[in-house]
Amino acid sequence: MNLDEMLRMALASLAANKTRAFLTMLGIWIGVASILAIVAIGNGGKALVIGEISGGNQSNVIQIVPRELVAPGLPQPGQVLSIDDSDLAITASFSGVESVNETFYGTAVVQSGDKSDNVTLFAGPADLDRLARFVVVRGHMFTAEDVLSHGNVAVISQSLANKLFGSGNPLGAIITLSGVPLEVIGVAQPEQASLYSLVMGSDNLYIPDTTCEDIFPNWTASEMDVVVQPGVDVQSLANRIVLALNIHAGDPTAFIDSSGLAASVAALVGKVTTILTAVIGAVAGIALLVGGVGVMNIMLVSVTERTQEIGIRVSLGARKRDIVLQFLVESMVITSMGGVAGIATGVVVSAALRALTGIPAFVPWTVGALAFVFSAAIGVVCGLYPAAKAANLHPVDALRYE
Amino acid sequence: MIRLVGVTKSYTVGDQLVPVLKGIHLEVHPGEFVAVMGPSGSGKSTLMHILGLLDRPTSGDYELNGASVLHLPSNELARLRNQHIGFVFQNFHLIPRMSAVRNVELPMVYAGVPRSKRRARAMELLEMVGMANRAHHLPNELSGGQRQRVAIARALANDPAVLLADEPTGALDQQTGGEILRILQDLHADGRTVMVITHDPRVARAGQRILHMVDGEIVREEVPDEPR
Repeated sequence: MNLDEMLRMALASLAANKTRAFLTMLGIWIGVASILAIVAIGNGGKALVIGEISGGNQSNVIQIVPRELVAPGLPQPGQVLSIDDSDLAITASFSGVESVNETFYGTAVVQSGDKSDNVTLFAGPADLDRLARFVVVRGHMFTAEDVLSHGNVAVISQSLANKLFGSGNPLGAIITLSGVPLEVIGVAQPEQASLYSLVMGSDNLYIPDTTCEDIFPNWTASEMDVVVQPGVDVQSLANRIVLALNIHAGDPTAFIDSSGLAASVAALVGKVTTILTAVIGAVAGIALLVGGVGVMNIMLVSVTERTQEIGIRVSLGARKRDIVLQFLVESMVITSMGGVAGIATGVVVSAALRALTGIPAFVPWTVGALAFVFSAAIGVVCGLYPAAKAANLHPVDALRYE
Repeated sequence: MIRLVGVTKSYTVGDQLVPVLKGIHLEVHPGEFVAVMGPSGSGKSTLMHILGLLDRPTSGDYELNGASVLHLPSNELARLRNQHIGFVFQNFHLIPRMSAVRNVELPMVYAGVPRSKRRARAMELLEMVGMANRAHHLPNELSGGQRQRVAIARALANDPAVLLADEPTGALDQQTGGEILRILQDLHADGRTVMVITHDPRVARAGQRILHMVDGEIVREEVPDEPR
């Protein structure tokens, strides 16, 4: 008997019990769909987190930080803790450097009327929006004049605006930072919706670096952002600058290029996400296993119900192989159909997630193909025992079975 | 062509060995019409199952076409059932989910006959038993007599030399049974070997020989005096 004939037979017999076939298929369907959805979310989340971390350094910006800021703990005596003007001058002297900017960041408390909130404070030059990657959506960004004049102005993030002013207009309002009044001149949003901001919220306050130095005279620049001219090898320039700074500081590890740090953190996060995805995927695999048990159960019922039919087929010349294949093909058709439906559902779910949350969830085609092969394999594994049971029935007993 | 030599068959029931056939000697020649008669429990169905290669004897020998079939592997037995033997059962044994014509095609499916050829042959056979107009009906849409006609068409699908009929009229009324018997007689007239198991004397008299079975033995062979 050829495959085409067996497929027709299997489809006909499934069609005779549509509800049952559908419910059996549903088990595999749900199992495959949940595994695929989890893989998609895992992949998307990973891509997002890694993009978030490594996206922090734009390709033409080198971020240089004192080592102390990366490795927490008590600083060694004499360790460089901050960036000073001489460091800036050294960096600026390199050819290929377009501009050198100091940025400060830290946590602070802002108040507005009787409301207060913990914020992350960013301070920098007038192009801080580019360096800290945000967009002013209402009002405007502080200007170079504001920086020069130590202006008491602030740009606040949308979520901070919501907390302090609700639906009221934040522009022109006065907030206080360590007792210093600041006028809100702009409301900002991150350049792109990110997982970090989705999870953590982002109550950010952006002010000119000069103003920050007035309010927090003891703060030192936390990061040096070096904007590189187009066409320059960013990595080699970064290495040369760091080397020069370290020679200047007399400490071979005083400064580091935190762009590399971001990459290694990204790799670590990627690894963790992969492990998490695998663990949750394994749990979803249990759903698939249960689906497989359901298939085996139904195939056993089907063999029992069709005992007489098996006897008749044997009397007409069916070999054991024909009987085994008949039931195997049937269970494979069920699980493959469930697999295809599950893959389709997984793809739809990940597309929906992408559209609704911005998480770049996707199902790699290899995972889809693997899911299909695996669901067909479940059909074989779970159909084998019932099929063997059918083929080993004694023909006379089978014929007499009522 | 069919030769049984001292065939016995016993079943174990609990810890007891129950003999069902006790040394059957039987020869059936090509083209013969043989009837086997006996009360229920006489072992005639078991005999039929052994003849039809659905069961193996406990001892004795069975030769089909001059060769012993006792030690053939199961695939070879399946091939013989498929090619050389046609079964007709008391309860028709059509597969319920399949139309008449699909049922008739089934032995040809197992024989590997291509689809178009299969369909043509099945329709031809249904035509022969007068069922061509109901070819696409499911068994439960057919009367008992019609189902048995389809079953006979199916038994003939691969043109077997031997037709084994187990109480072919047992579930039918007098008139329908008579019609089925006439089909079997026509097949015999065409040269096919026919073995009928029955306890209807009217059916048995259609045979050239009647073997009477009692308690697992053939006790008497009768040649009906009336010409058929």
